[in-house]
Amino acid sequence: METTTIGGGEGATGMAAHMEVEAFRRLFPLPFYDRHLSKSVRPDARTLDSARETTISLGPVASADGSALVKIGETTMLAAIKLEVMTPSTESSDEGSIAVEFYMPPICSPMVRPGRPAEVAPVISQQLSDVIMSSRMVNLKELCLISGKASWIAYLDVYCLNADGSLFDAALLSAVAAFTHLQIPLVSVNEEGRVFTVSGEQQEKTKLELVNKEKRKLSIGNTPFPVTCVIHKEHIVVDPTAEEEAIMETSITIVLDTLGNLVSIYKPGGVGLASTATIKECISRTKRRMQDLKIILEEAVSVMEVD
Amino acid sequence: MGKMEDRIDGRNANQLRPLACSRNLLHRAHGSARWSQGNTIVLAAVYGPKAGTKKGENPEKASFEVIWKPKTGQIGKQEREYEMILKRTLQSICLLNVHPNTTTSIIVQVVGDDGSLLPCAINASCAALVDAGIPMKNLAVAISCGLMEEGSIILDLTKSEEEKLKAFAYLVFPNSPLTVIPKVPLSKEQPIEQGIITSVTRGAMPVSGYFDCMNRGVAACAAISEFLRRSLQKQSSDDTSRAA
Amino acid sequence: MAASTYSPSQGAERRQRQQQMRRLSIQSDWDRSDGRSFIQCRPAFLRTGAANAASGSAYAEFGTTKVIVSVFGPRESKKAMMYSDIGRLNCNVTFTTFATSLRGQGSDNKEYSAMLHKALEGAVILETFPKTTVDVFALVLESGGSDLPVIISCASLALADAGIMMYDLVSSVSVSCIGKNILIDPTNEEEVCQDGSLVLACMPARNEVTQLTLTGEWSLPKINEAMELCMDACLKLAGIMRSCLKESANLSN
Repeated sequence: METTTIGGGEGATGMAAHMEVEAFRRLFPLPFYDRHLSKSVRPDARTLDSARETTISLGPVASADGSALVKIGETTMLAAIKLEVMTPSTESSDEGSIAVEFYMPPICSPMVRPGRPAEVAPVISQQLSDVIMSSRMVNLKELCLISGKASWIAYLDVYCLNADGSLFDAALLSAVAAFTHLQIPLVSVNEEGRVFTVSGEQQEKTKLELVNKEKRKLSIGNTPFPVTCVIHKEHIVVDPTAEEEAIMETSITIVLDTLGNLVSIYKPGGVGLASTATIKECISRTKRRMQDLKIILEEAVSVMEVD
Repeated sequence: MGKMEDRIDGRNANQLRPLACSRNLLHRAHGSARWSQGNTIVLAAVYGPKAGTKKGENPEKASFEVIWKPKTGQIGKQEREYEMILKRTLQSICLLNVHPNTTTSIIVQVVGDDGSLLPCAINASCAALVDAGIPMKNLAVAISCGLMEEGSIILDLTKSEEEKLKAFAYLVFPNSPLTVIPKVPLSKEQPIEQGIITSVTRGAMPVSGYFDCMNRGVAACAAISEFLRRSLQKQSSDDTSRAA
Repeated sequence: MAASTYSPSQGAERRQRQQQMRRLSIQSDWDRSDGRSFIQCRPAFLRTGAANAASGSAYAEFGTTKVIVSVFGPRESKKAMMYSDIGRLNCNVTFTTFATSLRGQGSDNKEYSAMLHKALEGAVILETFPKTTVDVFALVLESGGSDLPVIISCASLALADAGIMMYDLVSSVSVSCIGKNILIDPTNEEEVCQDGSLVLACMPARNEVTQLTLTGEWSLPKINEAMELCMDACLKLAGIMRSCLKESANLSN
């Protein structure tokens, strides 16, 4: 076949051969990937089950109560939480709430333009809020200030700064990190029942009655960790880039929590099917990746504490 | 099945709500179907294939667009997610090479929502695609499986059950092993099982619980698939007799 | 969802600080809250190549003002656009919901988008990409004052990173007039109580101004003083921008 002769230049060196490989990649993306996968290697030199380098830094946004910047390879997510006060509903009077929004501003991808928002943004938004609620990572009771009167609503806004595949993974990781970083401000209540923040010196001066002296940090319970895999023929490709996601159309996202519970198995259609064996394989990859992510998150937290 | 009448509406754990499917209800649409599972009712209409694909779609293949119409109110994030899941589920069961560079629109109108809305919509859309004569590899059958506290599983959830349950899953399976393309590798220990097309879960569950759901789901989908096939055959024979 | 939520931080504390600023501004000599002198800019951090999905990108940080700009193209213009001999420059500025101390809507800022376009238009050689469009998209991650000048400088850096032909880099600096004093590179707090502001964008190597915006109360000698201050700062800023570009070019070699 013609494609094989073009691909013959793959191993050769020099500028001309390099151009040919790039042309082959553009013109025949699927055979290009097939040949890589059959040799158990990916174009970016990763093995099929290795994720890209992942970094977490806490507290990049000073104007938010909690924030985190996460990079998985080139995919970059910035999550920030702002706390506001609300009146809880009567059926859950001692609970706060969480409002999740995911944004894909035009800077993140050539596909998104102003006035033409990305189709996946509301989908990931919904997925994020489902997983955060399903995992019960945050105990909503801890967001209560005065039962029946006032509680916190945590506005979690996740911005995609650069989109290069596995968006949900990076988004959830940044959300988890932002909740870990969240510092609840010290507040008091005035005569009208309005809640206001109290600074340290003010507190000493006026001896205001504080509402939440003890509840300054959330106790993050079982943390959910996600892994997206692309299923292509018999291969399972972990942490796909945007190119890999576009060419091999079937993806499956698994979220496990630290207790080993399954928080989500999300496979929205796609050309390929996922058999029990495939799913089990994906779960075991997720378990392995979870150990790495846990360490990365713990390190990010300890760096914060040193500062 | 042991415990009888362990659910509010008197069904046992494995029992589905009464199914009903009628096709060719709308005259303007190229195909339509109304699917009901108890009080959850969805009407799906198919228009197309029309020439051309939208920007960003692969013109070498047939493309689909799904428009979700809620019973009341405006379309939100949840509906957007359902649109995407439906679209990609239908893409996986249709033959995309037969009509390249075309777009087929599926309009899903929710008539009643009493739980298992997404599975019901998938079943309805699938029947509507058949009615429109869109070339398909196989049918998709969707089911909701709920995981009870003690680990047992109930099928075809109502809205109140969905709200009460700790965890549940919407699963979509291909209807029959006969129609699956041979390229898909079969897992050796379970030669009948083909795997899932779509999976959406809510709530945390043990890993084993998910596989229990899958096993029960496959069995239930065989029953729904049988119903769907009978319903399609009956109506198509009606059509031919009418034509004669 | 709860109909009305409010942020608890907008209390007396902020108002007190503003009153204090007001009092200070009447005096001729006072200290800025971050310890700078009146003619000292905040420390700038610039970096190119922040986002690989774009043709070029840059990140700029001036104190707590943090901006990221991506440049796409030259690429196909919108279908509805008429044929044009010269290229088009399309600018868009968005703020994140958490950019300001009060949670915002995260919508486009039309005014800044237009201002950014005007500031860059004169510097970009549009003739080099006929029929096509270059998109400049800015996202303000955190707004800490002097947002527009930071966006403009960052955008010109991103354009250079994308290899778009320009006559010169555009650097931009703003000053606030508070009482008798002129403050360069004001923070949010200082901007709130300013009597007037001046934003200047220029091409320092050509000694050409691409944009000058003057608002509020100014006397003529003050304007001259402010402009000279800005031109001088722009020249220095352009030097930093240039060394940032050189650094990234060296890295890629």
